[in-house]
Amino acid sequence: MKTTNATRRKFLGGSFAASAGLAIGSPVPGPWMRALASGVSNSERILVVIQLSGGNDGLNTVIPYSSDEYRKARPKLAIAKNDVLKIDSDLGLHPSLGGASKLLEQGRMSIVQGVGYKSPNRSHFESMDIWHTCSRKEERGSEGWLGRWIGSQSSVKQTDSLGLHLGSEQQPLALAARGVQVPSIASIDQFRLKVADDTQVGDTMLPESNQDLKQMNDDDELLGFLQASTESAIAASKRLEKALKKPDTQSEFPQSGLGEKLRVISRLILAGLSTRVYYVTLDGFDTHSQQPVAHAGLLRQWGDALNAFVQRMERAGQADRILVMTFSEFGRRVQENASEGTDHGAAAPVFFAGCPLSKPLVGSLPSLTDLEDGDLKFHTDFRSVYATVVKNWFEEKSDRVLGESFPTLNLFS
Amino acid sequence: MMTQITQLNDLDSGWAWQPWEPSEQEPWDRRRAALLLRRAGFGATESEIQAALQKTPAECIDRMFQIEGDETAQFEVESSELAASMIAGGEAKSLSIWWLHRMLHSPQHLLEKMTLFWHGHFATGAEKVLDPDLMLNQNKLLRRYALGDFRAMVHGIAKDPAMLIYLDSVTNRKAHPNENFARELMELFCIGEGHYSEADVQQLARCFTGWEIRRKNFRFNPYQHDSGMKQLLGTEVETGESAIDQVLAHSKLPYFIVRKLFHFFVCDEPKPTDALLEPLANQFASDGLSVSGVLKKILGSRLMLSNWCMARKVRSPVELSIGLMQTMQVTSNLAQLSNRLQEIGQALFFPPNVKGWDGGRAWVNSSTLVGRANLVYQLIRDDKTRFAGGSLNDWLQKQAISESDAFLNWFSDLFLAVPISDAQRMRLRKSIEGQSGDRMFREMISLLAAMPQFQLS
Repeated sequence: MKTTNATRRKFLGGSFAASAGLAIGSPVPGPWMRALASGVSNSERILVVIQLSGGNDGLNTVIPYSSDEYRKARPKLAIAKNDVLKIDSDLGLHPSLGGASKLLEQGRMSIVQGVGYKSPNRSHFESMDIWHTCSRKEERGSEGWLGRWIGSQSSVKQTDSLGLHLGSEQQPLALAARGVQVPSIASIDQFRLKVADDTQVGDTMLPESNQDLKQMNDDDELLGFLQASTESAIAASKRLEKALKKPDTQSEFPQSGLGEKLRVISRLILAGLSTRVYYVTLDGFDTHSQQPVAHAGLLRQWGDALNAFVQRMERAGQADRILVMTFSEFGRRVQENASEGTDHGAAAPVFFAGCPLSKPLVGSLPSLTDLEDGDLKFHTDFRSVYATVVKNWFEEKSDRVLGESFPTLNLFS
Repeated sequence: MMTQITQLNDLDSGWAWQPWEPSEQEPWDRRRAALLLRRAGFGATESEIQAALQKTPAECIDRMFQIEGDETAQFEVESSELAASMIAGGEAKSLSIWWLHRMLHSPQHLLEKMTLFWHGHFATGAEKVLDPDLMLNQNKLLRRYALGDFRAMVHGIAKDPAMLIYLDSVTNRKAHPNENFARELMELFCIGEGHYSEADVQQLARCFTGWEIRRKNFRFNPYQHDSGMKQLLGTEVETGESAIDQVLAHSKLPYFIVRKLFHFFVCDEPKPTDALLEPLANQFASDGLSVSGVLKKILGSRLMLSNWCMARKVRSPVELSIGLMQTMQVTSNLAQLSNRLQEIGQALFFPPNVKGWDGGRAWVNSSTLVGRANLVYQLIRDDKTRFAGGSLNDWLQKQAISESDAFLNWFSDLFLAVPISDAQRMRLRKSIEGQSGDRMFREMISLLAAMPQFQLS
């Protein structure tokens, strides 16, 4: 879509003074540039992705507490039967998942078991890339699955960026889209351009053209990328500053990294941002040694923050348009290692929360005896999980986003 | 002879790595000297550029490898005093101040740049290691071999206490080997993913059982070592040392390392083909995995010093800040700088994970762009900031720069790979209208830092 200079002037000018000094010129296709006059739609469904980085030990998260094999494989790490927060007669949650278990009771959480993919890769980076792009290294393009969805929405009128990544880590590949810059924001406080405070440029946007860029370097995609990123950054900075002016007095979020991120997301949603996909990560799940304390702390952080977020949305009457998906790049080996830890594994559960969900457990726990190289075998392709999100949540065709069609799961009630 | 590069991977590799010679289209001038000095270091002052122009590029590069002895002795005294005081504080975070000071003031720019390269390669995070002493020792190990013997560096890193803690080798016992270090040794340090099997990972982990730390030092514990034979990469090995040699002998290793060097020095994009890298890989292999030869070849090559190579790299946060500070002879509050570097994605001694920093476009997002501009804004305004020991005004006077256009020209030549356009110049002029002196120049530098070109090396 082409944006005129007049629109750009209006959009980038105004009180956000310094922007005028920055742009080289070149119409930027991007959600921030689109449809400035369209209204904000509150009825749109939102997806929040929580990525557990490092490989979450699924077996000590959703625990087969009555299984002898489990205890045999985990002489030091097995969670005692009495400590498990029971879901049914075989499975229960890790004791530090009190928050998540509340969501289960309310019918606002669902656990999809045995998720993975064929010939699992046990490199963190390669496996994460597979989850992000739905493709193997050999055939990988530059886009992520959510990026492809964002790219497919170009005809939709949208005030705010469709996707938003909150966190200081590198932007997850899942959000990479062609021609659209998804903003990544480390913290709201740091996200204010200081030079704008004392420079008064006003609306002075001088004539500019693509020639500006062209002159500089014939085929420089890198500069074009920086140009688009700079404009996207300024627009997002301005929008968020405005959205967060009013404090939220009703929220009780745990004081943790993830709690803070989800608190910010809740405020953005309540401020009426029309963003559809929020992405956050929680790192530290690579528990090769001394797993018990570290894992318990991480699970508590995740469960408590998630519960606070859903409850806040619920109180605001917004929970029904929220779906939170939590995944990790792989599970861990069934047999514990000698360092009171676990090595990289394969199949693991994926968690959904937010809107009412059909049942607590979807699919069964993979067998603890029929293993592949010591790891759980998957029975549900992760792309089936994504297909369910795209088709049943966003209500759109999933094959374009995922490369091919996959059967959907019975997730929503 | 080919002079115009259009597509990187169409290049004849025999041509690309020949020594660069000046031509009418590609003269040995201030902009090109600035390119070489910032890629092989961080930034260069006007007088360093002038000195470089008195020599050939090859002479400049040779010189980068020769700085030692008397020239560094005084600096090393200062640096080790600073290290001692940082260690005394007990926090690994403070070590970053020590290293920033080195990057800023050490006469050996290339050595510091390559140490940074290896820190990203053998990425080890202090958030897990905790002990600053061990982080400092690892940094010294990386510096010792930074321009030299890769083989010795890998053997060293495999017994380096900080690395052993970071990748859980410390608890690698006979009964249940821990695969973390074994996997990353092949995947991230030496060969690359896809060139070994899961079985190789498990066998290699067995080789390292019993490699422990005792009182901050490496120790071999024969009682925890699995002394059986292991099948690694198609050969039988027993000890950890012989296993490392086996990994080092892998045919993919030279390509894996020179590919990373290529991206670090030449360009972020596109990915080079193996064919283009072949002369570099061959040299690295025939030099017995010594780094200096292949590094000289890259830095002095037709490709590296071509017009094409300008603006092909996104500045890392460290390159951006140290580069600007060296160019304008800035000294400032390094503790502040260290905090701000963390905010924009490059905390020294705290890489994001064992893969290090991906670099290129990954440096850039909405937050880091705003953060970069804010970093420069605050640096330029900090009470402690001095320009060659004095005020910005005095410094500019010494450079014979009195008005905004002269400054922009000078700044473009020395710091920007893509000059600012006429339209940008007009907008800049407009936004500093009515201001003068120190304040105007500060404002201008802050605005420049928010421009896309500022981010390119």
